[in-house]
Amino acid sequence: MSKTVIRPSTFTKISLRELLGYKELFWSLALRDYKVRYAQTSIGLLWAFIQPVTSILILNVVFGRFANVDSEGLPHILYTTSGMVCWTYFSYVLTNSGNSIIASQAMIKKIFFPRIIVPISKAVVGLIDFAIVLLILSAMMFYYGVEPASNIAALPLFLLLNVISALGIGIWISALTVRFRDFQYVVPFLVQLGLYISPVAYPSSYAMEYLPEWAIKLYFLNPIAGVCDGFRWALFGLDSISELTVLSFVSGLILFSSGILYFQRVEGKIADIV
Amino acid sequence: MNGSSEVIIEVEELGKKFQLGAIGASSLREQLGQQLSSLWRSEDRSTKSFWALRDINFQLKKGEVLGIIGKNGSGKSTLLKILSRITGPTEGTVTIEGKLSSLLEVGTGFHPELTGRENIFLNGSILGMTRKQIAEQFDDIVSFAGVVDFIDTPVKRYSSGMYVRLAFAVAAHLQPEILIVDEVLAVGDFDFQKKCLGKMNDVAHSGRSVIFVSHNMGAVAELCTRVIVLDKGKIQFDGPVDEGIRKYISNTRSAKGSFMLTDEEIGSDALKGNHIRRAWCEDLVGNQVAEIPLDHGFRIGLEYTMNETVGSNRAAIELYRDARPVFTSFSDDQEVVINKNGKGIIYFEIQPYFLKGGDYSAELYLSPPVFKSPQALNFTIQENSVNVFNKGYRRDRLGDVVAQGTWKTPQNLE
Repeated sequence: MSKTVIRPSTFTKISLRELLGYKELFWSLALRDYKVRYAQTSIGLLWAFIQPVTSILILNVVFGRFANVDSEGLPHILYTTSGMVCWTYFSYVLTNSGNSIIASQAMIKKIFFPRIIVPISKAVVGLIDFAIVLLILSAMMFYYGVEPASNIAALPLFLLLNVISALGIGIWISALTVRFRDFQYVVPFLVQLGLYISPVAYPSSYAMEYLPEWAIKLYFLNPIAGVCDGFRWALFGLDSISELTVLSFVSGLILFSSGILYFQRVEGKIADIV
Repeated sequence: MNGSSEVIIEVEELGKKFQLGAIGASSLREQLGQQLSSLWRSEDRSTKSFWALRDINFQLKKGEVLGIIGKNGSGKSTLLKILSRITGPTEGTVTIEGKLSSLLEVGTGFHPELTGRENIFLNGSILGMTRKQIAEQFDDIVSFAGVVDFIDTPVKRYSSGMYVRLAFAVAAHLQPEILIVDEVLAVGDFDFQKKCLGKMNDVAHSGRSVIFVSHNMGAVAELCTRVIVLDKGKIQFDGPVDEGIRKYISNTRSAKGSFMLTDEEIGSDALKGNHIRRAWCEDLVGNQVAEIPLDHGFRIGLEYTMNETVGSNRAAIELYRDARPVFTSFSDDQEVVINKNGKGIIYFEIQPYFLKGGDYSAELYLSPPVFKSPQALNFTIQENSVNVFNKGYRRDRLGDVVAQGTWKTPQNLE
């Protein structure tokens, strides 16, 4: 028979064993998000293609044609698409996990479960978007006859970086919005800004060329800089990857672990103040 | 029921403090410096606080059905939320042995875009059931809810009745060792409520432990084996159901059941003429009462003085329930003689099962000339000895009296 002891705490330690006990709920929530996402739309999942494709085309026209940025020997549209693989996932997870606690408040006030599974489940749902853009990318690579490089084995590592940094920020924001709704407005801002301060449609070598020393470091503290560079390195074997990518890993890890830490600090109060 | 005395919930020195004032409502700009430092602190020092619960100690034994009753704001919901781990306590501990499920509302997590089928699985897993458990009971759930034909329709197309039935059906198929139920039963239509109460009864009599919060004293009396009365965040009473309910009613009562007018209130003119001096409610053996059980008859007594004898003298009662008129009755409706010379007492007797549960106020008159008592006689009809749960005369249903007609079929007309 299971035994539960409830006592006052200002820090709700997340127990992995307990989390595992809620894996059914975790999948149910993820499944629900997936199912209702395009409910009552006539073209359904097609929307998941239209959005990234439109972004890719526009970025390609603006950066590739108008600005004629360097794409390290690749067709620019391929270059942008590989950036969008990372960016689509990042922005989806950031937006949805950031908003997830507020969006589930009715449930949180009525039933117990480890709250952290709410933002984390969004990271799983986002993988669908990721897969879709990856599919588009594969089709393009086939079309342009570009073969994946041998570095591709390292791709999961950069995907992991993408997951933890998106979740890290998302968890931070989901916990902060419990008390400060201000952070709801930070998310669209971050998403808009992030597209330009990350090497999604242009190479990060531009940053190294045009920015002062200190700003370059700052640039790579944006984990998505490392993710985009890493993806291209893994997919196309471009040698442009910088040792500064380590900074992206460091900041990604810090964001994630501090996010989890802060979430545990707030968890016990969520139902009272959300 | 099993006589086991195994303790499955132990609550010790439990307390919960809440912050008053606008927690979380402040914007960053307003209190930036102060708030930034409070990001890490779990509470704002600037706000006042109050104890919603304090010094709560009790045990729940296996097989017990514990009713928790108390006025609004007495801490019932907070206690349930702590026991269900939705919110944490500020002090004290709770030890729970076994799997606990709580039903603070039905249909938690239901998504309008999902079909009935999908929502059953979603809601089931939110309530802590595994997919396998849900799948095994799926057919029962659907037929209990009576939505077989609509099971693959999004629930946003359901009527509100169907929605609630489906939601409750999932909850009703939970099989926890300990069940916590808030007043979720007070939903749905008549038939469905009957079903729900039956289900609650099953749970209560299957040896599982239940904590039940309700304002329906009849249901509490019927289901529970023990009650705790909460008042202002403290346990005021813990023990037998009847005694607890009486305690609760005496907390909530506003009725006095009697009054005696002073000379001043009667007024010097009336004092010389006709007036009422005293009024009270009494049970059928003459004990003065202020709360009358629904299934008991009682009398309203008037002590009067009659000095002027002009025409036909009579006493009158205008009865109100929650400020709505219920009836008017004159003593000469039935040719009862008022003592026309000096003092006298007259009674109006009310049969059992006539006035519904609630607070009543009787305006009393004596005439002629008309003397209206400056005080009304207040009393309460209570339902703790009767389960009015699915009765037409339940307190919150339309109408103020228990209907005195009889339902018949063509076969038993005679």
